[in-house]
Amino acid sequence: MEVTAKFSKPTYKTISLFIVIGLIATVAAYTFLFLKHDPSFVNLNERLLPVSLEHPLGTDHLGRDVLTRILLGSQLTVGYGFLALIAAVAIGVPCGIFAGFKGGLLDRFFMRIADAFQSFPDTIVAIVLSGLLGPGIENLLIAIVLVKWVNYARLVRSTVIVERQKDYISVAKVNGLSSWRIMSKHLYPHIIGHVLVLASLDLGKIILLISALSYIGLGAQPPAPEWGAMLNDARPYFQSVPSLMVFPGLAIVLVVLLTNLLGDYLRDKFDVKKELSS
Amino acid sequence: MSLLTINNLSVSANGAAIVKKISFSIGKGEWVAVVGQSGSGKSVTASALGQLLGPNLKAEGEVQYKGDNLLALPLKKMRKLRGTSLSYVFQDYQGSFTPFLTIGRHFDEYQKAHLSLSRSARKQQAQEALVSVGLKPEMYSRYPFQLSGGQLQRVSIALALLLRPDLLIADEPTTALDSISSFKILELLSSLQKQTGCSILFITHDLRHVKNYADRIVVMKEGEIVEQGEKAQIMGKPKHPYTQLLIDAASSLKASFPLRSKEVAK
Repeated sequence: MEVTAKFSKPTYKTISLFIVIGLIATVAAYTFLFLKHDPSFVNLNERLLPVSLEHPLGTDHLGRDVLTRILLGSQLTVGYGFLALIAAVAIGVPCGIFAGFKGGLLDRFFMRIADAFQSFPDTIVAIVLSGLLGPGIENLLIAIVLVKWVNYARLVRSTVIVERQKDYISVAKVNGLSSWRIMSKHLYPHIIGHVLVLASLDLGKIILLISALSYIGLGAQPPAPEWGAMLNDARPYFQSVPSLMVFPGLAIVLVVLLTNLLGDYLRDKFDVKKELSS
Repeated sequence: MSLLTINNLSVSANGAAIVKKISFSIGKGEWVAVVGQSGSGKSVTASALGQLLGPNLKAEGEVQYKGDNLLALPLKKMRKLRGTSLSYVFQDYQGSFTPFLTIGRHFDEYQKAHLSLSRSARKQQAQEALVSVGLKPEMYSRYPFQLSGGQLQRVSIALALLLRPDLLIADEPTTALDSISSFKILELLSSLQKQTGCSILFITHDLRHVKNYADRIVVMKEGEIVEQGEKAQIMGKPKHPYTQLLIDAASSLKASFPLRSKEVAK
């Protein structure tokens, strides 16, 4: 399998990807240029206002501007999602390379640890950790990393085991290269495509997890404008002001959709369908 | 004087013997061919010499090389020997190259591991090596998939001989090539051996590939050496019925192969 970038005609995926990226760029520019509300500024005189020019998405039950909170909440939901993902990849990939390449006892040791982590559903681990360490988005991150690194270690290990048996690794060995050199120069580039695809698909799941756990009060704590927490805040007003729940919900849907599109796009680009479905 | 002496080498996988107490030696500048059908343990023998056996295979016995036992050498010392004193060419030329690195990068990797040369000196050395196996220096910047099978096998020979090893272990280097290309490779190996004076341990299942080039022949069957000796003696007066069988199998195909190696070598 060669990791070669194919330059093909733009498909609907490519186009939609660029549309959404454009959307995000616009939103970022808007946040930078026009954001004039304090996300946690409480003004009870302006509570539950409908959509207007002053408040493009209305205000919530404490009179805070919803658009401002959604935009700043992206830092929490998407930002922490990225952070968790990067940490999981940074732990999982080296573990997978070592376990796959060295084999033997080290491999079995790593994989039993991975099995132990994988045998618990991520939500349960997150809830237990929050119970032990106290609720908060940092503890939520730790829980997510603990559960997610396993996927990367496993994916990388299986790729390395396939590649390691090929002759070019033997050739590198018989020409006197060190294991470290072989891993970093001859194996690593094989893995990066697979990892990118899995990571982009995982990002959506992680964002959903952060929002879901914040919704039940285990993640971000008020007054942090996390999207899941905003949904939770808006719960009592669902009947009277449904837009309070719709907008953060839309934000989550949009971002998760985008990460899935990105994942599909990268998968086509690197053509690793077989590995992911197996 | 012998360069490498194998004494009672056995290789076993989970207790089952694959190679059973074989002994032979390779002299300096000698071309020794190990012949046998698949499963006779010849490739495993070759891998054992460079400590390349998989984790489930265990080698016992002794391989003497310049006062060291290669089987018991610590990995760090072994790594220094690999490439500089002992190098390999494999059957699968396509798989012998890391697909996303250029031919030049392959040379670079091995040069960096053993030599301290400047970038331009490395490139020059690599291009000279390419020319020495009959390839154009432009191949330096090509990717492996842009080369044909015969060209790739030439590059692997250039890589293997780059650091002037004492012993080249060629594990069925011609098996995956068509007959014309494989005769060209054999001619190339033979002329390079004359130039560099290295010994060659040539592993093959086909006596036709060795009868013009080998000095001595070792015949293996089911992990044991059934017969070894000078080429003329093995080919002319084989003692063991299995050797006779191999010779018969080779000569029966001779009639249908119209090209002589000299015509093909050009």
